[in-house]
Amino acid sequence: MVNSENTKAQMRKGVLELCILSILSQGDAYPTEIIENLKKTKLVVVEGTLYPLLTRLKNTGLLTYRWEESTSGPPRKYYMLTEIGTSYLKELHLSWYELVDAVNKTINKQD
Amino acid sequence: MNKTVTINISGIIFHIEEDAYDKLNKYLTTIRGYFNKAEGGSEIMSDIEARIAEMLQSKTSLVKQVVLMSDVDHVMDSMGKPEEFASESLEHASTDNESQNNSYTYNESIKKRLYRDGDSKVIGGVCSGVGNYFDIDAVWLRIALLLMFFFAGTGLLLYIILWIAIPEAKTTAEKLAMKGERADINNISKAVKEEAEQFKKRMEKYGDEFKNMASTHKDVPRNTIEKIVDFIGDILLNIGRVLLKIIGIFMVVFGVIFFFGLFTSVFGMTLFPNNVDGKEWIDLLLLDGKDFYLGLIGIAIFIGTPIIMMIYGGVKILFKIRYSNRWVNLSAGIIWLIGFFLLLMVGIKTGSDFSKTAKVRENIIVKPYQTLYLKMHEMPINFHEINMSDEDEEGEEGFKANKKNNDYMIGTNNGIKYLLGHAQLNIIKSQTDQINLVIVKEAKGADKRTATDRAKNISYQVIQKDSIIEFDNLFKVDHADKFRVQDMTVILKLPVGKIIYLDKSLETMIFDIENINNTYDGDMINRRWIMTENGLKCLDCNGIDDNVEETEWTDGSQPVDINKDGVNINSEDTKIKMDSNGVRIHSKEAKVTIDKHGIHVDSKKQ
Repeated sequence: MVNSENTKAQMRKGVLELCILSILSQGDAYPTEIIENLKKTKLVVVEGTLYPLLTRLKNTGLLTYRWEESTSGPPRKYYMLTEIGTSYLKELHLSWYELVDAVNKTINKQD
Repeated sequence: MNKTVTINISGIIFHIEEDAYDKLNKYLTTIRGYFNKAEGGSEIMSDIEARIAEMLQSKTSLVKQVVLMSDVDHVMDSMGKPEEFASESLEHASTDNESQNNSYTYNESIKKRLYRDGDSKVIGGVCSGVGNYFDIDAVWLRIALLLMFFFAGTGLLLYIILWIAIPEAKTTAEKLAMKGERADINNISKAVKEEAEQFKKRMEKYGDEFKNMASTHKDVPRNTIEKIVDFIGDILLNIGRVLLKIIGIFMVVFGVIFFFGLFTSVFGMTLFPNNVDGKEWIDLLLLDGKDFYLGLIGIAIFIGTPIIMMIYGGVKILFKIRYSNRWVNLSAGIIWLIGFFLLLMVGIKTGSDFSKTAKVRENIIVKPYQTLYLKMHEMPINFHEINMSDEDEEGEEGFKANKKNNDYMIGTNNGIKYLLGHAQLNIIKSQTDQINLVIVKEAKGADKRTATDRAKNISYQVIQKDSIIEFDNLFKVDHADKFRVQDMTVILKLPVGKIIYLDKSLETMIFDIENINNTYDGDMINRRWIMTENGLKCLDCNGIDDNVEETEWTDGSQPVDINKDGVNINSEDTKIKMDSNGVRIHSKEAKVTIDKHGIHVDSKKQ
C-alpha cells in the first residue's frame, strides 16, 4: 500500500535537523520559539518530534544550552550552536544546495 | 461539579479535573514508555513535561484555575501522538509499525495492585480491596473471614495483618491501579509468555541493529551486548518473581497453620486446664500461677510474633506491596523481645529452683522374724502418667502394662491432687543385728533448706504385718511442692543369716539388688534369699525353673517326636523340648532354659 503521508513525513524528518540548526544560527532560542518558527513553514506538525531531536543534537555536541528563568512557567532551556555545530551547519548547507540542485534537475528532466 | 486532583508538572502546581488527569497521566506514561530505553530518555521526558506545564499554564488564569479535559486534548494535539514523534528517538527503528505494536503491549495496561478500598469499606476496606483485586464480591470474603474467626480467631488475625500490610488507595492513580487489569497467578504465566515473545522480537531487532552497525562501521556493538545482558537479567527476574510468589504462598499458608496450632495449644491450656497434661506439667514446673500465665504469654508472643510476621511478609510478597511501614517491623521486634524476656525471666526463676539437691534419710526398725515376706502394696489412687510418655492411659491397667521407673504421674485421692513417683527397693547387708528400713528421699530447690523441706514432704508408707512387710509402690508429693525431681529409695538392711522372700508383686520395684548368684532383678522374685557375709544368696535357685511349671517330659518310647505342640527329643543323656512355654535342654552336665523369664544356663561344674 502506498502511503504518501509516510513518505512526506520521512522527507520532513530528513531536513528537520538542517532547519533547526539554521534557526539557531540566527540566534539562541528555546524549544517553543523553534517550534513556532517551524510551524509557520509547516515543517513540523507536532511538537513532540522536536524534543528527542534537540536532545540528540545536544548529545552529539552540535548544540549546547543554558537555563533562563521564565515569567510564565518553568525555566526555559535556551539552545545555541557550538563551534562544531556551526561548521557542521555549513557542510549541511552546501550539501543541501547540491541536493536541491540535483533533485530539481532530475525532476525537471522527468517533466 | 467535578472532582479535581492536584498535580505537579515540572515544579508547577496544577489543579486538574480527575478524568482529565487520568488522560494526561496515561499520555505521559505512554511517552515515558517510548523514551525509557532511549539514550537521554529522562532528559527528553523532562523537556516535554516542561513544555506541557508551559502550555497548561497559558490555559489557566485566576478566573479559570482548573485544567479541563479540553486543555489536555489541546496539549495532546499540539504535542502529537506519542508514536508519531517517538520513533525519532529510535534512530534505527526497523519500521514504524513494529515499534508501535511493541510499545503498545508494553505500556497500555495499568498493572493492577492490591489496595484497601476506603470508598466501600465496612471496617478497614480490606475485603473490598481484596475483592477488587480478584474480581470477587467483597461480601463472600467477609463471610469467609467471619467463618474463619471461629477457627481460633484466625480470621481476625488475617484481617489485622492484611489491614496493616495493604496500603489504602488514596490518590486517583492508586484507585485506578486498584481496579486495573486483573493481575493474579494466571496472569504471571501470561506475562512470562509476553516477555518471551518480546524477547524474540527484540532479538530480531538486535540482529538488524547489529547488521546496520557492521555495515556503517559504527562503534556500538558494546551497546547491543549490554542490551542482551539486560534481557537475560529480565528473564531471571521473571523466574525469580514466580519463585517469590510460591514462597509467599507457603509463608501465608504455613503461617496460618502454625498460628492455629499455637493458638489451640496455648489457649487450650487455659480454657481446659483440667484435661491437658501439658498444662499440669507446666503447672508443676513453675513456681506459682502468676508464672504460669506469664510463661504462657511469653510462649505465645515468642512463637506467635514470628508467625504473624511470616504471614505479613508472605502477603506483601504475594501482592507485591512495596509500601512498608517501619513501625510494624520495629514494634514486632520489640514485642518479640518482650516475649523473650518473659520466657527468660520465668525460665531463670524456675531453673534456680532446681539448683540445690537435698537427701533426707528416715530409719525404721523392723520387728525381727527369721523369714520376712516382702510384698508390694498398690496404692488405691486414680492417676494418669504425665512424663511426656506417649500413652497416657488412665487407671491401673495402663500403669501395669508398661511401667518405667522414672515416670511421674498425677493422681487424685479424695479430690486432692498429688504428684506420684515410683519407689525403688534395695536390699543390703546390715552392719548390726537389727533389721532396718532406710527411706532415702531426694528433692531439689532454690537452696538447701527448701530442697530439704521438699524431700521431707515426700510421703511414703511401709507397713509390717507380722512377718509380712508391705511396700507402697508409689510415693506421694503434694501438688504445692511442685515437681523438683523428687526421688525415693527404700533400703532394707538385713543382718547376716536372715531370710527374705521376694513376692512377685515386687517385680517392678526392685532395682539392681546385688546378690551372689548374679541374678537379674526379674529372676529374684518368687524366691527366698539369705543374707550371707558376701551378700544375698539364693536359697531355692537350684532349679531355676522351680517356679516354672515342671516340664513334662514325654516317656522314652519315642526318642524324637514332632507334633503340633512342638518338638521332643528324648535320648539317654539329653532331653530337648520346644513348645509354647519355650525351649528347655537338659543334659547330665547342664540345663538351658529359655522361657518368659529369659535365658538361664545352669552348669553343674561351678
